Amino acid sequence: MRYMIIIKNDPVSENITPPPEVFESMGRYNQQLLDAGILLAAEGLSASKDGALVSFNKGKSTIKDGPFLEAKELIGGFWIIQVRSKDDALEWAKRIPMGNATATVEVRRVSELSDFDGVISPDAIAREQSMRAEISGKSN
Amino acid sequence: MRILMMVKAPPSIERVEVKREDLLPMGKYNDMLRDAGVLVSVDGLRTSDKGVRLNWKNGTPTVTDGPFTEAKELVAGFWILDVKSMQEAIDWAKKIPFTNGEGVEIRQIAEASDFNDAN
Repeated sequence: MRYMIIIKNDPVSENITPPPEVFESMGRYNQQLLDAGILLAAEGLSASKDGALVSFNKGKSTIKDGPFLEAKELIGGFWIIQVRSKDDALEWAKRIPMGNATATVEVRRVSELSDFDGVISPDAIAREQSMRAEISGKSN
Repeated sequence: MRILMMVKAPPSIERVEVKREDLLPMGKYNDMLRDAGVLVSVDGLRTSDKGVRLNWKNGTPTVTDGPFTEAKELVAGFWILDVKSMQEAIDWAKKIPFTNGEGVEIRQIAEASDFNDAN
């Protein structure tokens, strides 16, 4: 099963560039995930000033440019890991080298096509599978 | 540039049952992204009752089990797109077959070259 580990930050902390030692310790952590053969993705986001929000209401979309100063929580980055259980995901999350920082991550299971058996038609599942094979082949 | 396009929704949305017909327009939208060559990945997340949060204080993580009903917004799913500009990402976001009350947040993914000054 796949889990997404989401790093939370806020409108103040998102603009603080971490010191080089944080990049180094995170690099070592990512290497451990890679060596364990479980790392599917690890990405950081640039600050919300570079982003936008699109809201949908009655079929119309409204755009709001970042930064999102009123947000209580923002997303700073994420990992996607392939593990055997939620406990495994938790164990890996606990090892994130946060140092003495006050920090929060959210660990969420990524849906698999098999979760939708009986909800999506077999045809649609087959189409999804072929789309996934195509896009993952392209990025490798 | 790579873009993370996140679907954000209040915790109440997590309890809404997904129907087969609701998924069809989204499947067509994903096909459009793929045909345009901009789709890197697309995934949905299971509801937050199957998730956990870890809060670090003074170097020690504390684990809280989901659901995160006190959250204003939760991430329900995401796309990663490879596009030429923020405007192109916004144009794609506007085409998402959402109708009422949903929101997406579009964020640039940092590239290694963004950190040349920091290291």
